Amino acid sequence: MEGYEQLRLEIETLIGRPIRPPIEDDKFQQLALSVFRHQFENNLPYRRYCERRDRTPDSVQRWRDIPAVPTAAFKEAALICGDPAEAEIVFRTSGTSQGPERRGQHYVRDLRLYETSALKNFQAHVLPDGARLRAIILALPDRLAPDSSLTWMLEKVRVHFGAAGSDYFVDQAGLRLVPLLAELAASETGERPLVLLGTAAAFLHLLEALKQRNRRFSLPAGSRLMETGGFKGQGRAIPRDEFYEMLGVHLGLSQFYCVAEYGMTEMCSQFYDNVLRERALGRSPEQRYKVVPPWVQTQVVDAETLEVLPAGQVGVLRHFDLANLDSVMAIQTDDLGIAGADGFEILGRATGSELRGCSIAMDQWLTAQR
Amino acid sequence: MLDRNGPVADSAALDGFWLPSLAGQLETRDRAFGPDHVPMRVPVLTPHTLRELLVELKRTGREVLATRSVREILTSIENVAGRIASSKDLLHDELVATLPGLTGYSEQMIAVGLERMSEGWTARALREGLEGEFGALDVLDAFQARQTGGYQRAFGPELTVHIFSGNIPGVAVSSLVRSLCVKSPSFGKTAAGEPYFAVCFARALAEDDEELARCLAVSYWPGGSEDLEAIAFSEAGAVIAYGSDESIGSIACRVPPGVRFLGYPNRVGAALLARGMLNSEATGELARGIALDVVNFDQQGCVSPHVVYVERGGQVSALEFAQQIATHLDELSRDIPRGMMSPGESTLIHQLRAQAEVRGATVLASQPGTEWSVIVEERLEFDASPLNRVIQIRAVERLGDALAALAVVGRRLQTVAIAATERELETLAVELGAIGATRIVPVGQAAWPSPHWHHDGRFQFMDLVRFTDLER
Repeated sequence: MEGYEQLRLEIETLIGRPIRPPIEDDKFQQLALSVFRHQFENNLPYRRYCERRDRTPDSVQRWRDIPAVPTAAFKEAALICGDPAEAEIVFRTSGTSQGPERRGQHYVRDLRLYETSALKNFQAHVLPDGARLRAIILALPDRLAPDSSLTWMLEKVRVHFGAAGSDYFVDQAGLRLVPLLAELAASETGERPLVLLGTAAAFLHLLEALKQRNRRFSLPAGSRLMETGGFKGQGRAIPRDEFYEMLGVHLGLSQFYCVAEYGMTEMCSQFYDNVLRERALGRSPEQRYKVVPPWVQTQVVDAETLEVLPAGQVGVLRHFDLANLDSVMAIQTDDLGIAGADGFEILGRATGSELRGCSIAMDQWLTAQR
Repeated sequence: MLDRNGPVADSAALDGFWLPSLAGQLETRDRAFGPDHVPMRVPVLTPHTLRELLVELKRTGREVLATRSVREILTSIENVAGRIASSKDLLHDELVATLPGLTGYSEQMIAVGLERMSEGWTARALREGLEGEFGALDVLDAFQARQTGGYQRAFGPELTVHIFSGNIPGVAVSSLVRSLCVKSPSFGKTAAGEPYFAVCFARALAEDDEELARCLAVSYWPGGSEDLEAIAFSEAGAVIAYGSDESIGSIACRVPPGVRFLGYPNRVGAALLARGMLNSEATGELARGIALDVVNFDQQGCVSPHVVYVERGGQVSALEFAQQIATHLDELSRDIPRGMMSPGESTLIHQLRAQAEVRGATVLASQPGTEWSVIVEERLEFDASPLNRVIQIRAVERLGDALAALAVVGRRLQTVAIAATERELETLAVELGAIGATRIVPVGQAAWPSPHWHHDGRFQFMDLVRFTDLER
């Protein structure tokens, strides 16, 4: 257990370092192999998964060879080191059409690394100037979404970084538009910038309401926005460019101040757009991409063969997240992306719309019958 | 990259339409189809030109088809069917050369499909089908005496509008052929997933029987072009649509009252193996049969099996049987390679394999790719396969347990392949029929329905026609 605590502290120290430059591969390798040994020894379903592939701490020499678990596996087993009953919290993927029994579950034994990782990364990419701002949150508060990892994270952000008056503007009935508009109107006349946090779908809802009312706000300089997720559940999806343009028109936010976050229930770490952090460093980034923090490695793999692809080719994202110390570090996602020099771009989910065949809607339909 | 069907600029484009009445006066644009981004010219149709075209098509249909006997029509169709099946014919060559890039299926799969599907378009197969439903062909040519007194004659719709789906090449041609057999002119709207076979059929028919081919029109427009569809449906006597539940539902709502509507929505298949058949002599053939049912058209058809229920207690266990299936799938993946995969399709299979494995299933699968997967577990539920050669083997105590699982699928159940004793088969057929299955076949024959099958449980020809009774 002493070794474990030391490993945890080493990862925590790494998370404490600046976001750039990236970590040396040797250092990541050493930590990743230690995490793999810990998970192989203590996470029984994961151990079986590795053994069936003849990958053990003795045979794996490089972090790249550590078996990555597809996210769908989280729907079937408690992928945690030790007893699942000892988990501090279980985060669940949103229900959607799959029904409760099919939701992915991330058992988190110890929230400390999660919190350190989430706050550090958020600060580096959304508050790189050290600003302390009032947070306007367009997501369900934790009492209404106790198993949502996004809500958990946003609450931590509110507590740690939010100035007085930070609040939530979504409840079971949806967006609380009247108080939200009042809040935005009051802020407009003041000088205190805001940070708006929430789901892309909620922001789109807000934008459509503003468009309908022909209402344009000009939020104080330094205001910013973090949005996450797709436009799920929304009647329509719009291209990202158009979305940011609308945010500019209706809220007065520059595109550099609109930061997309990409996170997943199965991971303790998240990814953020580079734009605001670079802006704070005095640059005008021409490209928007997701920054991989030093305690994570991301690969883009061929969807069919799962072999690692060179930069510039479209494939499926695979992450190695040291902050997932007590669950599974190596995660095979179903998100399409493309690797760049200093991060990656995300292109959407790799499942769904492009499927052919007679039974596209069948699974959904059958699940609804049960 | 993600959008398979975008605009292109290429002068070597294929002609993705058959609109003889508009020859020389048609505005077209180029568009890329299929995983190979095959450039194809498609018409720019306005509601006005479409209406004119359909009115002209109905006029041609009245003139031409009234003068033809059904037998003559069958002969012309058979001539084209022969060319499609013949590996020495340029038409066959063109289809084998173009359909893989347009549909994603391998060349070998397309070649097998052409051979098997064209068997249903011979004069004999069509004549037997018509006779099976009407008793005699003559009732489509002239008034015939009825046994009960008086006379009757069957008339096809003045115009049949077909909305095709793209999953199985050839289904569009069968649909056009059936309408011609009942002397109905047809307008076919092709799907982005397979926009070309019906066009080639009509063009080839024109080389042999120009007049008959003028009773066909085939074109493409993007799905959901409701202004054009409103025109097409209002001119139609019958509308036949193939597609997802969602698109069938949407079309059904827009077909005017009085216009006959036949919808073919999503359907799935399964297989049942009784323990008595699982002795070591028979299982090799059965395993190969299941593998073939999975390989043919990469499970994209409504007849393809998703789940195989294996009764426990036979000489060969479910796992051993699954291993045999895996061996055959591996061999067949060389003879008939699987089609091209989108990243989403591959990803879905990798995810599903891992999910099943962690759940405790035994996963036998190709490596490192997703060419084939056999997932074996003790589980009753019918889960839809992600297709593309993923078959789920489920050991059950009694086949009756499987029937309970299939009852959930109900009216969505299309084909059930069965290996059982005669006695068991009789009982199972009754129960499956009551649940909703529309076709029960021996293992290995799921992919190739008889030319006379009741597609979705319906008549092939009878549902299209209207009878006129003559009392004297």
